[in-house]
Amino acid sequence: MIRVLVVDDSRVMRQIVIRTLRQAGYDWEVREAGNGVEAFAAVQADEPDVVLSDWNMPEMGGLDLLKTLRANGFETPFGFVTSEGSPQMREQAAEAGALFLIAKPFTPEGFREVIEPVLA
Amino acid sequence: MSTIMDYGSVYEIAQAVFAAMIDGDEGLLLPWDGDPPVIDDPVVSWVEVEGPIVGRAALTTSRDTAHALARALMGMGADEPVSDDDLVDAFGEIANVVGGNVKALLPDQGTLSMPQVATELPPTDYPMVHELHLAWRGDPLDVVIWLNRVNPEGEI
Repeated sequence: MIRVLVVDDSRVMRQIVIRTLRQAGYDWEVREAGNGVEAFAAVQADEPDVVLSDWNMPEMGGLDLLKTLRANGFETPFGFVTSEGSPQMREQAAEAGALFLIAKPFTPEGFREVIEPVLA
Repeated sequence: MSTIMDYGSVYEIAQAVFAAMIDGDEGLLLPWDGDPPVIDDPVVSWVEVEGPIVGRAALTTSRDTAHALARALMGMGADEPVSDDDLVDAFGEIANVVGGNVKALLPDQGTLSMPQVATELPPTDYPMVHELHLAWRGDPLDVVIWLNRVNPEGEI
């Protein structure tokens, strides 16, 4: 079973991401973190198979989380789920090593469209 | 500033956010028919845009409607109570997603603040560019956008 770490400062949004994963057919084992600092500690303690992270968070945002992971040798597959999907942000995400960026609002179909190619 | 983002684009964003995150279907967020009412016991959520273009995206609705929105967003039953924390989290996240999508349409990108929720908006000097009086499931809900470009001297 794939193990995912869902990172978002909004508890409600974490619930929605997890619900959407289920609706998209991904019955993954889920852990949660409320910001980049918590997420980095969670990856250090037990590296998941994939990280789904918000971009804009207090303490440490998603882009800094990704850069911190890579700087510390973690090549954990990483995707953003964020309310901002501008071309500039997509470019920044790709340059930092993200596999995809899902812009909110999202649908189960939207999740499948970006996650299926990665799983393949 | 309104020429770079028309009324229809803001409405499409609001409709898409409500359809995907809250209702699962389009058609439940509609333009208010007639004179917009004064919203009783209001709750306001907003995010600020910072950078070469500054501004704010805000949602205002009644406390009862904000509770209903939070229930719908979280998939709760109609009679389930919503905690204050969940109300702030859920209603703030709706403004965050609307504001994020508005910001994505701007020609110059900056950053988005964390969402805030209160009973009234703090004053702003930014010019209002769009005020949408909408009805969500028949209840009034306003979406208001303020935007302004910062000049080379850093002044608004």
